[in-house]
Amino acid sequence: MRSAWRAELVKIVTVRGQWIGVVLATLAIPLASFLVVATGGLRSGASSTSGTVTGSLVGLLAFGAWSAVITAGEYANGTMVLSLSTVPRRLVLVTAKLLAVATTAAAGAVVSTLVALVVVLGVRAPGAHGFGDPASLVSVVAAVVVVAVLGASVGLITRSPSGSLVVVALALLLPRAASGLLGGLEPWVVGATPDTVIMQIVGGAQLPASQTYPAGMWAAALTMVAAVVVIAAGSALVFVRRDG
Amino acid sequence: MPVAPDSITLPAGALAADIVVEEATKVIEGVTVLDRVSFTARPGVVTAFLGPNGAGKSTTLRAILGIDHLTAGRATIGGRPFRDYRQPLRVVGAHLTPDASHPRRTARGHLRVVAASNGLPRSSVQWALELAGIDGIADVPVGRMSLGMRQRLGLAAALIGDPAVLILDEPHNGLDAAAIRWLRAVLRSLAAAGRTVLLSSHLMSEIELICDDIVVIDGGRLLAATTLVDFLGGARGPGPGRRVSLEERYLDLVGEL
Repeated sequence: MRSAWRAELVKIVTVRGQWIGVVLATLAIPLASFLVVATGGLRSGASSTSGTVTGSLVGLLAFGAWSAVITAGEYANGTMVLSLSTVPRRLVLVTAKLLAVATTAAAGAVVSTLVALVVVLGVRAPGAHGFGDPASLVSVVAAVVVVAVLGASVGLITRSPSGSLVVVALALLLPRAASGLLGGLEPWVVGATPDTVIMQIVGGAQLPASQTYPAGMWAAALTMVAAVVVIAAGSALVFVRRDG
Repeated sequence: MPVAPDSITLPAGALAADIVVEEATKVIEGVTVLDRVSFTARPGVVTAFLGPNGAGKSTTLRAILGIDHLTAGRATIGGRPFRDYRQPLRVVGAHLTPDASHPRRTARGHLRVVAASNGLPRSSVQWALELAGIDGIADVPVGRMSLGMRQRLGLAAALIGDPAVLILDEPHNGLDAAAIRWLRAVLRSLAAAGRTVLLSSHLMSEIELICDDIVVIDGGRLLAATTLVDFLGGARGPGPGRRVSLEERYLDLVGEL
């Protein structure tokens, strides 16, 4: 497993477009947060940590898109045959792929969040905002990892980079965009999407009740993780059956 | 450009492993693409796997490597299915297509991925680059390489673990004369060191020079599995006293002469 995981990491660092994708995704959260805070978008009373996560949806989309292209791209460019003939055990291979994407995304998210925090502290109006709870920013890292695993899983299922991008974007944006269609399920669905989970944990952002998970923020986080674990397991099953 | 030596010294293989295909059958959407194909590729010899386009050669090689499932029958390497090997490159090296590497990854990067996947040391990358004669273009993106250079890269990836068994699917495509001579030397050296070599090719004149055993399939069915000598034995070519060539014997067998 360790060798397969290392090979997947080497794959990422040996293609310029792939590691540039990580860098761009890493820059997304600080840049978006900077734009929000610098233009006065951080409401009075909100903490610096909540300002830090204002750009999280952009970052989540970026990491989700990156990871989807990583896995689906192996089919698109015909290199999956190499993976299959060097790591014969399908479960090991798919686990290594998901772990490599998760590891890279976690590293990127840590840097991204720290840079975003520094940026927000630098541009916030002096004395207008408290610091907030820095530990809550771990939720950004967790959500980025979850979305990266989601993207990689979708890429393995669809085998199409463009198709994967559409699915990831819909998974992140559609629940809130179509919340009116969800009826009583709205807080259970929208409240467990990665960006609202971040908002709930970091606090400071006044989410409407319809977007707040009724069972609490930690239950929302668990639901988010559980949903992605199910999707990842599904992708592994599809991978083993179809490419086995 | 690489030197094309008459022989290449390789260490004796740690393992002697044969490839055994037994009653291999594959049905895709109701069409039988492999029909009870059986043959053995032995250690210490080069076995040619011949057949027209669409005969089922690549399907068979992919089945041996566990990339495709067989509907019935089995294929083993050293008595075990390929998938039972945790780090197969030390036992089996395979080159199925020159397009198995990312076009934006360099040759060195590609081999780094391959080496890492099986826990091989970084030094094996340089060794394989030099063995394949592509160390001079190791940092060129694969997408900018010629077909011949990509074939060499594929061969380097197959050889990187110094395997007991080598499986090659049409490795001669795109190679120039010097590279074909180089490949001949490599394959003969591997066989001389006790390795098992199974390769498909349409280059009959070259196959006749390097192979000991011949397996022929057509339409998914086995037509012949024997030694080159027996395959050619007794058959006479056109003209008095002329021995039949492998090409003539093969084309006669598959009904294309």
